[in-house]
Amino acid sequence: MSKAKSQRNAQPNNTSEVHVASNWVAAWRRFRRNSLAMFGLVYFVFIVFVAVMAPVIAPYAYDAVDYAVTYQEPTWQHVLGTDYLGRDILSRLMWGARPMLLVGILTGLVGMVIGVPLGILAGYLGGAFDWFIQRLVDLFSALPWYLLVLYLVMVLSPSVMNLVLALSISSWVGSCRLVRGLTLSAREYDFVEAARALGIPTRQILFRHVLPQAAPLLLWGFASGIPGSVFAEAGLSYLGIGIRPPMPSWGQMLGQAGNYWMYYWHIFLFPSLCIVISVLAFQGLADGLRQAIDVNVNV
Amino acid sequence: MLNYTLRRFSGILIMLLLLSFVTFVLSRTVPGGPFGKVEVPMGEKQLAQFKAKYGLDKPILEQYVTWLGQAVRLDFGTPFTAPEMTVTGLILKLLPYSALVGFLACMFALVVGIIIGMVSAAHQNSWLDNAIVTYSIVVGSIPSFVLGFILVYVFSAKLGWFPAGGWGGPKYLVLPVFAYGFPATAGVARWTRQCMVDVVSSDYVRTAYAKGLQRSQVMSKHVLRNALIPMVTSFLPMFPGMMTGSMFIETVFGLPGLGKQFTLASTNRDYPLVLGITIFWALLISMTYFLTDILYGVIDPRVRIMEKSS
Repeated sequence: MSKAKSQRNAQPNNTSEVHVASNWVAAWRRFRRNSLAMFGLVYFVFIVFVAVMAPVIAPYAYDAVDYAVTYQEPTWQHVLGTDYLGRDILSRLMWGARPMLLVGILTGLVGMVIGVPLGILAGYLGGAFDWFIQRLVDLFSALPWYLLVLYLVMVLSPSVMNLVLALSISSWVGSCRLVRGLTLSAREYDFVEAARALGIPTRQILFRHVLPQAAPLLLWGFASGIPGSVFAEAGLSYLGIGIRPPMPSWGQMLGQAGNYWMYYWHIFLFPSLCIVISVLAFQGLADGLRQAIDVNVNV
Repeated sequence: MLNYTLRRFSGILIMLLLLSFVTFVLSRTVPGGPFGKVEVPMGEKQLAQFKAKYGLDKPILEQYVTWLGQAVRLDFGTPFTAPEMTVTGLILKLLPYSALVGFLACMFALVVGIIIGMVSAAHQNSWLDNAIVTYSIVVGSIPSFVLGFILVYVFSAKLGWFPAGGWGGPKYLVLPVFAYGFPATAGVARWTRQCMVDVVSSDYVRTAYAKGLQRSQVMSKHVLRNALIPMVTSFLPMFPGMMTGSMFIETVFGLPGLGKQFTLASTNRDYPLVLGITIFWALLISMTYFLTDILYGVIDPRVRIMEKSS
C-alpha cells in the first residue's frame, strides 16, 4: 500500500494519464455496444465522405438543367429521378450533404466558442458577472430558436454563414450552462483549491485543471446539438430562408417541389429520407455518447 | 412566497425589456430597411415622407421610447404589408387558427406520449421498454413538415380521405394535428419515462414496498404524485409553444395562422409586425414560465423552503 502510494506520489502525471486513457477506453467499449450509436458513427463517416467527394462521385452537376427529362421517376440514367428542371436528384442530394454538415458542425463549434468561455467565467467568478450571464441564458432559452433565426435571417439575408451565426445565437446557451455547472462543482475540488493555494493564476487553473474535466461532456454537448441544427437548416431551407439556390439543400429541395410533389413521389421521398436518417443517426450518436460517458444531466 | 413571486416577475420584465430593445435596435439599424425592396422606386422626397410618417427619421432611442410607450398599451403600430389593420388586430385575427391546431396537437402528444412513457417505465428494461425507447428516438427524428408531406401524399393525393390543406370543417384539422402532434409524442414519452423511472428507483418507494403496500397503491400514491411535479412543469410550457403556431405545419397545409404570417413578415421586412409578434410570443412564453415557477412552488414545498434559506 505504502509502496503504491509512494509510486503515485513520484509520478503523479503518469497515473493520471493512464486513468484518463482508461476512461476513454471504457467509454468506447460502452459506445460500441449501442447499435444505434454505431449506426450513427458509421453514417457520420459515410456522409462526410459523400459531402467531401460530391464533385467527384456525383453523376451529374447539381445545377445541370435538362428540360427533356423533367419530373422523371427513377431510371438507370437518373437513379433517383429528376426534379422540375430535369436536374438529377441523386447528385443534388450528394451536394446537399454539404450545407447539412456545415451548418450542423459549425453551429456547434461557434456555440462552444461563445458558450464555453462565458460558462467558465460565470462559474468561476460568480457574483454580478454570473448574474448577468444567467439572465442572458434565461432570455435565450425562453425564446424559441426559430424566432431568433427568422429575425436574423431577415436582417442579414440568408446564407450558410448567416444561418450558422443565427443558430449559434441560441446554441451557445447549452454549452454555457453545462460548463458553468461543471466549473461550479470543480471549484470545490481539492486539487483546484490546492492549485489556488499554491498561487497558480486563475487563467491557468481554469484551462489546466477545470476545462479538461469538461471535455467528455462538451463532446456530448457538441454531438447533441447537431440533430437540431440539421433539422433547423432543413426547415428554414424548406421555407425558402435557408440555403439559397442554385446550391442545393435537402430542405430546399422539398420546398422547391412546390405543389407538384403530390403527383411525383420521388421528388419528396428521397430528400425526406435523407433528412430523417441524418437526424436519426446524429441523435443516435449523441445518445450513445451520453451513455458511454455516463452523463447525468437533464436537458 | 411573495418574495419569490416578485423576484421571478421582475426577472421576466427585465428580460422582456432587454429583448424588445435588442430587436428594436436591430430592426432599425440594418441596411436596406423596409423600403429597400419596393417594386416602384421612390424619390428622395417620398422616402423622407414615408419615414416621417412611420417616425423613422428620429433618433433610435427616441423611436424606442415612443414605441415602448405604445407597446405597453398593446399598440404595436400598423403593419407595412397590411396598412388597413393594426398589428394587434392582425395577431388576434390569426391566433385562433394557430391556437386550435396547436392545442389539439399538444393534447394528442400529451395523451399518447404519457401513456407510452408510463407503460415503458412500468416495464423497465423489458423488450417493450426497449422498443418504446427506440420508438421515441425514431419518431423524434421526423420533422413535422416531412411527416406532413408523407401524410398529404398518402391520405389526400392517393386515398383522397382528407383535404390536402386549407381551412374548413374538422376534416381539415386531422392531418395537420397529427403531423404536428405525432413527432412531439416522442419527447413526452421520453420525459414521462425518465420522471417515473427516477421515482421508482428512489428509497421511499422501496420503503413503501417493504411496508407491504400493493403495487397499485405505490404507483398511484408514491410514484405518480412525485413524478407529476417535473412532468407538469415541463409539459405546461408546451402549450404556448405549440399554440402560437408552427410555420412549417402552416406552410405545408396552407393554414392561415400566426407562424406562416411571421415567416411572410420577416421575408417582407415588415418590422412593426415582426416586432409585435416577437414581443407577443416572448410575453406569452415568459408568462407561462412564470406561472409554471409559481405552480412549482405551490406543488412542491421544498422549492419554497430552499428559496427561503438562500
